[in-house]
Amino acid sequence: MTRLLNKPLKAFALYAMIILVISIPVYVLVIDYIWKSELDENNWLTLQHTKQNLQSKQFTPVEIENINQIWGELQPGVSIVKAENTIFFKDSIYEVIRPNVYDEDDGKDRFRSLKSLVQLNGEPYILTIETNVEESDETFAAVALITLLFFVILIFGFILLNKRIAAKTWYSFYQTLSSLKSFELSKDSAIYLPESDIQEFQELNQSLHYLIANNVNTYQQQKSFIENASHELQTPIALLKSKMDLLIQQKDISPEIRELVNSIAAPLSRLSRINKNLLLLAKVENHQYSNQEQLDIKEFIETGIILFEDYLNEKQFELSNHLTKSLVVNANSFLLETLIYNLLSNTIRHTQKGGKINIYSNENSIVISNSGKESLDHTQLFKRFSSTTKDKISSGLGLAIIQEIANKYEWKVHYSFESGFHIFSVSFN
Amino acid sequence: MKILIIEDEQELAEDMVKYLTNEQYLCEYASDFQTAMKKIYEHDYDCILLDIMLPGGDGLIILEELKRLNKQDGVIIISAKNAIEDKIKGLKLGADDYLAKPFHQAELAARVESLIRRKQFDSNNQIVQNEIIIDINAKTVKVHNVPINLTKKEYDLLLFFIGNKNRVLSKGALAEHLSGDFADMFDNHDFVYAHVKNLKRKLKEKEYGDYIKTIYGTGYKWEK
Repeated sequence: MTRLLNKPLKAFALYAMIILVISIPVYVLVIDYIWKSELDENNWLTLQHTKQNLQSKQFTPVEIENINQIWGELQPGVSIVKAENTIFFKDSIYEVIRPNVYDEDDGKDRFRSLKSLVQLNGEPYILTIETNVEESDETFAAVALITLLFFVILIFGFILLNKRIAAKTWYSFYQTLSSLKSFELSKDSAIYLPESDIQEFQELNQSLHYLIANNVNTYQQQKSFIENASHELQTPIALLKSKMDLLIQQKDISPEIRELVNSIAAPLSRLSRINKNLLLLAKVENHQYSNQEQLDIKEFIETGIILFEDYLNEKQFELSNHLTKSLVVNANSFLLETLIYNLLSNTIRHTQKGGKINIYSNENSIVISNSGKESLDHTQLFKRFSSTTKDKISSGLGLAIIQEIANKYEWKVHYSFESGFHIFSVSFN
Repeated sequence: MKILIIEDEQELAEDMVKYLTNEQYLCEYASDFQTAMKKIYEHDYDCILLDIMLPGGDGLIILEELKRLNKQDGVIIISAKNAIEDKIKGLKLGADDYLAKPFHQAELAARVESLIRRKQFDSNNQIVQNEIIIDINAKTVKVHNVPINLTKKEYDLLLFFIGNKNRVLSKGALAEHLSGDFADMFDNHDFVYAHVKNLKRKLKEKEYGDYIKTIYGTGYKWEK
């Protein structure tokens, strides 16, 4: 993943590089062209001037020969020689590369030459003028070097500008981002999104505010709906239970009706439990049970084992409690009790008759393991009403309650399946 | 004995009156705060069943008023809120017991019985049930003056039966009485049979009147 600001930086750098690379040959061609046309013009002027002077002076062929010799010594490349044949030709421009004694590097130089036919004393002579011109590969090297230098300066500037923009312009964006990262819907905390003088960010923040406010609102409504609904259900459930108690007191009930009445008791008790658990979940979510005290996990487990003794005996479990030292945590006593008892009852319910249950503690954590056949679905386990087994007894809320209470105190609940044992652990920090 | 039921849910209050009323108990009920206050000013009750959530005022204020008037009425708080805070607050204010809704009528009857017994006898707290004598303080049971050895759960069951004489007790009510609030975490309460069986066997060995009857498919009944 690349950071947002590095994306345009890369693109800009690449674009700058392409443009600069293309510019190198263009510069070289342009410079070369200017060179050539300027030198050609210079050669032409020299030619005209020389021609005029030679023609007006009426030199003899011997004198011309001498001039050629002196010229050749004074300025190599300039010559006036008699034409071998009398073929008439136009002025011609050409380039020649030949050794230059004054060039200390490689001894070869590029020359721009102008050859012209001139009539002296009725005889045709060829007048040649050469001017040294910079070779194009040298121009290329110089231009390339300068371009590279500018490219480096450009990139350096981009990076600096990028950093400045990031620090200033994107500041509020990154603040928004970090606020969003730390925001949790279930924690009831307000979100702070900083003001920004950049329109898009301001709009983004406003939209986020709106979105989050809506979500918080919906979440609160849902929470209070669950609490209100389960609260409202309490009275009819209480009435049902009480009517059942009165109903079984009736004399002369036929065995069929007794059977029917009896079969209502189990679903009624299940309904009552689900409702109680829903109410509990809603209350934990709504941050009730705020009282905290120092509590010993070991004591709670021991009490739980005594409380559930009958259920343990009934299923003939082999229970070993390896808790030897106390493990003290700071929590609400009702919630800790609920967590431990749910953990224990969950284990008791889901262990086969005659199975094994082990309870032990590590540093800062308790582990309850029970024998089982296959691993449970990790992803569904702690969700509400998720059925990880075919067991219909559970209200589907026991583990969700454990998770919710753990979340409240930032404890970690962990499940694993190892060598035929379901292992539930709660780490208290 | 007079019992006052302060409960805004009329049907539930009527059920409680129906279940509790017998040759020993006389029940009255108040469905709102004002009526309840009027009644506690005018009469003395052996036991008051107090719902905290009341139309017209907080049930806990009634409790405070009872204490301020220095009344000796026993108070059992009944709360639909199932809130631990209410329980603690209520017991701190001087309530004698607490029962969360929904509850079994049998549980309520046993609590009322136990509370009234505690209020009546201060030192020599004994229940005499024909040939059975239960010493509440020492937690011992004698049949025909011969002591019998009961486990804690068998002892609790015996008291529960005697608090619900001539009433059919469901397995669920018995399990809830033995395991408390957490009994509803389980659906199978077959262990109740084992405890009742043991209790019956031990009482029978000492030749008690065979009062515990099995009501097929439902539970048990203590028939006097």
